Amino acid sequence: MARLFSLTYPTAAVLLAIRNGHRYGFDVMDATGLPDGTVYPILRRLERRGVLVGRWEDAEIARAEQRPQRRYYALTPLGEESMREVEARFPALPRLFQPESGSA
Amino acid sequence: MPGACLIGWAARLIPPARRPAWQREWEAEVAYAWRSMNRTGPPGALAVVRLRLRILTCVIDALWEKKETMKMTGLSNDLRFATRSLVRHPAFTVIAVLTLALGVGATTAVFTLVDGVLISPLPFDEADDLLAIRHQGREGRDPLPMSQGLYVLYTEQASSLAEIALWARSTVNVVWEDEPERIQAHAVTPSFFDVLRSEPAVGRTFTEAEGGPDGERVVILSDGLWREGFGGDPRVIGRTLDVDGVSREIVGIMPPGAAYPDQSARLWLPLVVDPAQAPLAAFGAGGVARMAEGASVESVDTELRGLISRLDVLFPDSGAPAFLAEVGLTPVVLPLKQELVGDLSSTLWILLGTVGFVLVIACANVANLLLVRAEGRQRELALRVAVGAGRGQVLRSFMSESVVLAGVGAVLGTLIAAAAVRVSLGLVPTDLPRIEEIGIDGRVMAFTAVVSVACALFFGFFPLLRYGASNLAGQLKDGGAHGATGGRERHRLRNGLVVAQMSLALVLLVGSGLMLRSFQALRAVDPGFETEGVLTARISVPTAEMEGWEEAAGFFRTLGERLAAQPGVEAVGFAAATPLGSGLPYFSIEVEDQPRAPDELPVFGSNNRAEVGFLEALDIELLEGRTFQPGDGAEGTRAVIVSETFARQHWPDASPLGRRMRIGIPEEDWYQIVGVVADAKYQDLEAQNEELVYWPATIGRSDAPQPTRTMDVVMRTAVDPTGFVEVLRREVRALNPRIPVSNPMTMEDRFTAATARTSFTMSLLGAASGIALLLGLVGIYGVISYVVSQRTREIGVRMALGATAPSVRGMVVRQGLALAGLGVVIGLVAAGALSRVMASLLFEVSATDPITYGSVAVSLVLVSLAASWIPAMRAAGVDPSRALRAE
Repeated sequence: MARLFSLTYPTAAVLLAIRNGHRYGFDVMDATGLPDGTVYPILRRLERRGVLVGRWEDAEIARAEQRPQRRYYALTPLGEESMREVEARFPALPRLFQPESGSA
Repeated sequence: MPGACLIGWAARLIPPARRPAWQREWEAEVAYAWRSMNRTGPPGALAVVRLRLRILTCVIDALWEKKETMKMTGLSNDLRFATRSLVRHPAFTVIAVLTLALGVGATTAVFTLVDGVLISPLPFDEADDLLAIRHQGREGRDPLPMSQGLYVLYTEQASSLAEIALWARSTVNVVWEDEPERIQAHAVTPSFFDVLRSEPAVGRTFTEAEGGPDGERVVILSDGLWREGFGGDPRVIGRTLDVDGVSREIVGIMPPGAAYPDQSARLWLPLVVDPAQAPLAAFGAGGVARMAEGASVESVDTELRGLISRLDVLFPDSGAPAFLAEVGLTPVVLPLKQELVGDLSSTLWILLGTVGFVLVIACANVANLLLVRAEGRQRELALRVAVGAGRGQVLRSFMSESVVLAGVGAVLGTLIAAAAVRVSLGLVPTDLPRIEEIGIDGRVMAFTAVVSVACALFFGFFPLLRYGASNLAGQLKDGGAHGATGGRERHRLRNGLVVAQMSLALVLLVGSGLMLRSFQALRAVDPGFETEGVLTARISVPTAEMEGWEEAAGFFRTLGERLAAQPGVEAVGFAAATPLGSGLPYFSIEVEDQPRAPDELPVFGSNNRAEVGFLEALDIELLEGRTFQPGDGAEGTRAVIVSETFARQHWPDASPLGRRMRIGIPEEDWYQIVGVVADAKYQDLEAQNEELVYWPATIGRSDAPQPTRTMDVVMRTAVDPTGFVEVLRREVRALNPRIPVSNPMTMEDRFTAATARTSFTMSLLGAASGIALLLGLVGIYGVISYVVSQRTREIGVRMALGATAPSVRGMVVRQGLALAGLGVVIGLVAAGALSRVMASLLFEVSATDPITYGSVAVSLVLVSLAASWIPAMRAAGVDPSRALRAE
């Protein structure tokens, strides 16, 4: 597969966090422990490359909780494919994340 | 919710289309986090701080987004596009970049010199307060630097001066491990280092007592001498050094760098001034001072003038004030920098102007090239406008090519300048002041940057003028540049640029032509002596080495005999000064048959002291009488020889032979004039012939003769004189190994050095105008070639209708000549106006010399003819049938 992005440790961590259900920007920050300032630029870049897709959460949920709609990120098929490389390059990384049910 | 304000502000960085979504996302995240924190009661302070820090990173996110979008649509995209399109046209790009690099490089190199010498402050603390103080008499005809008496007077009385110091150059013999060496020393008053605020690196400077009559014998070393002579050992402080046979205690070491008037001093000795008997009218030292607070150059000048006008009141018992009043002593107060730089500033500014012209010509060339390119791109650009590219976008795409060209040109130009500065520092006249301070620094880089931006704007502007977006729609409609004749309008800009180039090139050619004529005139000056096959060197016999006058005088005579006996040596002589050296001492002379009343101006003259054989060795022509013979001097015949100018000045209608004169001290003996010799240039080639007197090397009363202890040896040799330096050293060593030989030089070297500044300016102007001419010709050639290629169809039609090849050729050449002719006319007018600033650099040629102007104009027209001939040949070779079919 042609490389769409440089697979650095922070990128891999962000992808893994999202696959493990940490789908919101702040959640990714909490889950990966990366410096706060690095996470959003990675998310934007991955979205631009078509690895991630950003969507607005269901308006009903937000209204029920009386807060604005949050934007969550999900892996595209392309993203799913690139997870194989993530696991190959950083075999120990998945252990950092306890699978958790996302709230989306 | 915290941070809403910050997020709103950061959102402004995001492009408008994506802004609301970006802002909503951040606000939702923060709102969610804030709600979660408040769910179980008020949050802890630490948690709130952590959230706020996290909100702060929205700025990072926004900045990344901004950078990303700029890449997509903005400036860097333009530049990338421009770079790609330039790379696709390597011939155009290489020519444009090299032209620019040459222009920028030359300008930067000369600016580096101008900056180092003229602009940057002297390397002293508060250097703007430093002044050079000297004097002059007879309305500037007598240079009278500083006397000890005036130094004492100014120190005590001048309130506008915080401090003043004297300095005097000398050379001294120092002895290292029994090896004598002759080195430059400066004698300075203890105040010298305070005036300059120079701190020693080790030890101390001179104390006030050490500058007094009974001061300790001390010495301060320069950094260079300390490292070479003592291996940089700081323990030398307190040790002694043998200077001119006197042992002196080393008290301090000065750091490298800051020195005045130049870096030549290897050591400093105290200049001893006895305030009680400081002579008022013995002008032998330079003056440097620091202004008091609130003083100005003018106020110092006024105060010193006031003090000088009261000299007779201040020194009632001395005869000197009357003498100084007669001479019309006036102070000359100058900022120290101006004193150091002197008349070099006009040369440097002219050079900067010259390379500025070259740069403008280079830019005009690039502008022309860009116009050609823009013409080729008309359809593409019109299309871009048609499909909705904004006017700004099209303009930017023009500009970005200029920016890329200027950027690459600037980088390359700086490299050229760095190399040029290194090379040219080896070529500059050796007396270029502050040479050690010259280098490419931040200010030079800033200058280059500004110049390059100006260039980019300059040549980026012409295509805009011609093909601004408003014209483009029309271009698309009428199909661009494929009409049969093309029309006059389109070429007007390019023609204008070529005319400007030609006129600038002509101005530069006139400048270098004038310098060439000056140089020729200077080379043609008869120096009055033989320059070929003559070696000179300085030899000094200190009192400590040979005390008696017979010993000292005998040393030179014996040395002369021994040298004359060497094979290949034709003549040998000695004198206190040799031509084209540092000049001659200038003082009053009494002439017996022309007595002067006490209130009358005495006779002044330049004075040299010569041994037997000196005039013969230099082949200075004897016009009347005889030259010196053995036995002339204080111990024998009191003979003196005068120069032609001196003789003509004082005895215009009679022979001076047999008349008597003496050095202007009453007790001196009279000397009889025994000969008249031709004038010789002692100072420089430009100077008028001096009224010059040759005294014997040994003068003074017969019971106490004064030998000249430091003299230049002059050896005329049958073969290359440089090989005789070793012979000279060997013979001196054989007589006394503790006497050094310094500064060996051939007379030819001195002659070359005397013409160095003119030849330096000439070569730089020559190089600049050569480049200008070349660029101008390339411009003409380019324009005519382009016109021919655009008119191929028209020429084809003409030839099909019966025009002959010569008539077509003539038509094209006439167009080239019209451009050149207009450029020459404008250039002649501009040169006439501008060359006046060069007047001070010229020698025996007028700034409006018709020969120079005429020959430059004619040759420029001739080479333009040649430049348009090639495209004209191509035009004449057009095959009508093919040209007509080509459409």
